[in-house]
Amino acid sequence: MAIRGTVIGLASAVGGGAVVVALTGLVLHHQGPNESALSATVQGTEQTRQGALPHASLNLASYPDSMAGEHGTSGGAHPGWVSYGPSANLHVPAHSFVTITITQYDTGGTITNPYFAKAVGTVGGTITVNGKTETQIDPDSVGHTFTIHAAPMTNQDPLFVSVPLPAVADDAPNAPGSDYPAPNVVIFSFITGGPGKYVWNCEYPCGDGYYAKFGGPMATRGYMSGTFTVG
Amino acid sequence: MTSTPPFGERARSWWHRPETRGVLLIWAVLTIVLVLFCWVPAHLMGPPASPTMHAIESTVTVFTAAACPVAAMVWAIALYSLLKWRHRGVDQPSEDGPAIRGNGVVTSTWLLVSSALCVFLLIWGLAEIGAVSAPAASADPLVVDVTGQQWVWTFSYPQDGNIESADLYLPVNRPVVFHVTSTDVIHSFWVVQMGIKIDANPGATTTTSVVPDKIGVFDVRCAELCGLLHADMETTANVVSPAAFRSWVVANGGHV
Amino acid sequence: MSDVAVQEEALAHPSGGGVMRRLNIGTALAGGAVLGYVAWALAHHFLQTDQPVTSDQVTVITMAGWTVGFLAGIGAFTGPVRWLLGKDQTHEDEMFLAGKDQGIWRYFRFTTDHKVVGIQYLVVTMVLLGAGGILAMLIRADLVTPNSGFLGPQTYNAVVGMHGLLMIVATIVMVTGPFGNFIVPIMIGARDMAFPRLNALSLWLLVAAIPVLLSTSLLGGIPTGWSGYAPLSDQGPPGMDAFLVGVIIFAISSAIAGANITTTILTMRARGMTWNRTPIFVWGVMASVGLAIPAFPMFMSAMVLLGVDRSLTGQFYVATGGGSGWLYQNLFWLMGHPEVYVIVIPAIAALLELTPVFARKPLFNYNAAVMAIAGIVGLSLLVWAHHMYASGWAPDLNGPFMLTTELISIPTGVLFLVVLGTIWRGRVWTTLPMMATYAMLWNFIIGGVTGIYLSDVPADYALHGSMFVTAHFHYTLMGAGLTGAIGALAYWFPKMTGRMLNARAGFVSFWFVQIGFNVTFLGMFAVGFAGQPRRVSHYDNLFAVGNLVSTMGAYIIGVGMLILLYAVVSSWRSGVIAPANPWGGKTLEWTVPNPVPLENFEVLPVIIADPYGYGEGDPSSLHTREQREAVVGVGAGSSEHDAHGSEGESS
Repeated sequence: MAIRGTVIGLASAVGGGAVVVALTGLVLHHQGPNESALSATVQGTEQTRQGALPHASLNLASYPDSMAGEHGTSGGAHPGWVSYGPSANLHVPAHSFVTITITQYDTGGTITNPYFAKAVGTVGGTITVNGKTETQIDPDSVGHTFTIHAAPMTNQDPLFVSVPLPAVADDAPNAPGSDYPAPNVVIFSFITGGPGKYVWNCEYPCGDGYYAKFGGPMATRGYMSGTFTVG
Repeated sequence: MTSTPPFGERARSWWHRPETRGVLLIWAVLTIVLVLFCWVPAHLMGPPASPTMHAIESTVTVFTAAACPVAAMVWAIALYSLLKWRHRGVDQPSEDGPAIRGNGVVTSTWLLVSSALCVFLLIWGLAEIGAVSAPAASADPLVVDVTGQQWVWTFSYPQDGNIESADLYLPVNRPVVFHVTSTDVIHSFWVVQMGIKIDANPGATTTTSVVPDKIGVFDVRCAELCGLLHADMETTANVVSPAAFRSWVVANGGHV
Repeated sequence: MSDVAVQEEALAHPSGGGVMRRLNIGTALAGGAVLGYVAWALAHHFLQTDQPVTSDQVTVITMAGWTVGFLAGIGAFTGPVRWLLGKDQTHEDEMFLAGKDQGIWRYFRFTTDHKVVGIQYLVVTMVLLGAGGILAMLIRADLVTPNSGFLGPQTYNAVVGMHGLLMIVATIVMVTGPFGNFIVPIMIGARDMAFPRLNALSLWLLVAAIPVLLSTSLLGGIPTGWSGYAPLSDQGPPGMDAFLVGVIIFAISSAIAGANITTTILTMRARGMTWNRTPIFVWGVMASVGLAIPAFPMFMSAMVLLGVDRSLTGQFYVATGGGSGWLYQNLFWLMGHPEVYVIVIPAIAALLELTPVFARKPLFNYNAAVMAIAGIVGLSLLVWAHHMYASGWAPDLNGPFMLTTELISIPTGVLFLVVLGTIWRGRVWTTLPMMATYAMLWNFIIGGVTGIYLSDVPADYALHGSMFVTAHFHYTLMGAGLTGAIGALAYWFPKMTGRMLNARAGFVSFWFVQIGFNVTFLGMFAVGFAGQPRRVSHYDNLFAVGNLVSTMGAYIIGVGMLILLYAVVSSWRSGVIAPANPWGGKTLEWTVPNPVPLENFEVLPVIIADPYGYGEGDPSSLHTREQREAVVGVGAGSSEHDAHGSEGESS
């Protein structure tokens, strides 16, 4: 009898502990950012120095609030936070020629680190801003940046791409039929290597009200930061 | 009235005691076993890419080797006492042990040895600090400005036309001085295989220096939690030949 | 209703005596919720709500409301309020407050009896260790593969920070709280502590702080780790405000407890208990709180300045406003280094206290043990900037701090000598408390040696901010600290609960925990040497094997601690009834019956020698005069025969 009691007691303690840990883990796991990813659409090929590579395209936008994008029409928990949309989790194929188009609706200002006003890691070192080819933009009029960089992994190819996105004027009126002013459109391309997991975030401090303007949306996945999966 | 036997006789009788022999035997075996592994920490740290890292790895190996007999002695005494004087049975021992309240010789020896070890560590450490500070004082170092920002490192070369890069490029065998700062929170600039680390503080510039003495690609990591993507704040330190470094500078729009 | 049921009804719901007698943890939670809500509503209404700084202000005000409401609801203010109303507490009130005739309900009220407070601290410690342990299991689950994505970086950082703070709070109170409160007054021959109401206050402040700390998970978490480095802590979401309020509450709780313990030990030792005859555990507890008293206010100041930065746009830590992150670091580490000795000294002092009992030998070189503790306390105030070698704050001071840090190895080594000398030639009785001593000897050597690596400035440049540091402090705080606390629990369990702790379950738990612990953290040293930074939710493939090993070890620890939980709960409920002195110990707590009477002693004892007279067989080396008189008769032998210490009154 005593042995049975001990076994039941031990099993409850260890089993109960395991259940509590599992439940807590489940709750915290779901507290994490939205998992669903936006995949690039692949169409045709592009000639590069490495031969013909599949051409993958993604369309993103950066907004002055969270009313568009993945947070729902009510804006989610922080409707006033700047955000990227339609998703912050991006997926592109490996060994491809990737073209990303970003429609930038937000205002901005002077960037703290002028390095990020330049195009880095793109094909030819250039970006197309509203149709014109540029290697950098005015560092005093930056809206956001889109900067892809490394997660620490030895067995994946390095990938570092950073493009600046020009700001919309502070006093620009809303475009007809839209909640936002007329945007600046930036198109850029780069070539992916082998499969890997990377991250991206904005390097223009746009988290108003937070220290160094890098808190809030800047420090939260799904707004100004997300994942970038290759392969 | 008996007088205390002369020191030599006491020392000999101490040596002949079974406890002394027992502890010393276990101590010797443990020391040898532990010392066999004293190369492991430096091996885990990887091949050094600078004299600084080389000094650090020597320190780690020497400190490990010095720690082996110390740990072995503590564990030998503990183990011997457990083997020799263990009370068998679950009930309280029927007899107490001997009423030994202290031993002047043992205490003094212990204090002496630990103080000597401490002095050794200090002298070693001070000499080592001198050695690793040397590159800062060299005549014509390469200067690199390091900026930590959430969550990317950028480097600029003021002597070469202020070219900027997100990867660090360095010529081999030339002392380099890093001026490190941050635009937002505290980061820590860590070139892993070169053994240098200094915090990047907003509003202040800190300095570290090293001589890269191996060609290769090494890791630059952030060593101070800096927010959401701290784990991703990594880049490479590429040490190349002086000629390759010059071409890299020129290719990036700078002048040498 | 049967008679028993009627009586239990009466105990649970006493009549008469006004509001004070109806307050308990339920009213406390209600009071906290109500006042917290009121504070939130008022703050939310009157403060501008579209800027982050406003949510910081609202959070702080809400947490303050919760705390005051909680304390009011538990009855912490009844003493001052009654005094203000001119209706001071009667003797009956004070006996009620001390838990007289209340049965189990006294554990759920603002009870002043130090034994009740000790048990309450034990339960709170277990809750904190449990919460911190759950988070540890999740951290290791996230790190089982290089990029599992289980928690995501923001949640991971918040979990790591909470694990750290919960464990730091738990380890600070784990020996001084339960055993400093329950055992020390009896051990020094007193009836209670110097300030019984403050004793209860310090416990309930700690309880009030726990929901505040846990609420960070609902407020965006903390981005900084428990060390809260500024200016990252300036940047974080409102969870950081809950964090800083929680720390401030905890600092107040510790300060009150520290003042209480120090006064008790200084002024309430029994007649004849000179400093030479004071048990080493009492020295250890006093040294620990003596260190906490200057140190924890530094943490509180750091948090207050952070609160001003966040809620009132102060610029203490903001460089562009003339402030400096180095200010925060200095304040934090002025607390942070003494704090680790606040954690470790009572645990080791408990092992020093129990080892003579289980070796049946006097403590080896008692004076050296006391001086070693004093040396550690003194030096620990002079070493804080060894945590800042790589900060760039004052590079010229790195050498001097290396000197003071390496000097600490000398008094620490003396403590090893005392333990080994006590065991040597003893009758080694391998019970769970004694096994804890052996485990400490293993773990603390590894922890201490790896501290030497970190104290060397250039080696620290390689190892600072890596998992090596994490492994080092787990070896000291958990390998020596928690192990010592478990030994203390196993040793004093019979006195505190009246039952013997299930020995077999205890042994099984011990081996699971110790083996799992060494596997986990030896693996962690390896990845630290190899270059894995700390506080990272994903890492390079290079570190995969080490992390997998650490995760497996961590789950073994988890199983072991759950077995210990089972042992504690089942033994408490239905373990073998313990005799008054199951271990043959000589300190005063073993001379009082089980369960310990409300006022501890019928007649306060008179001390004639220290409690380490094992093997001496001489009646004058017995601890109390009553014990000597029981052997040789009353009046035989004058005080000149008092052994081991100066005669006469205690100071």
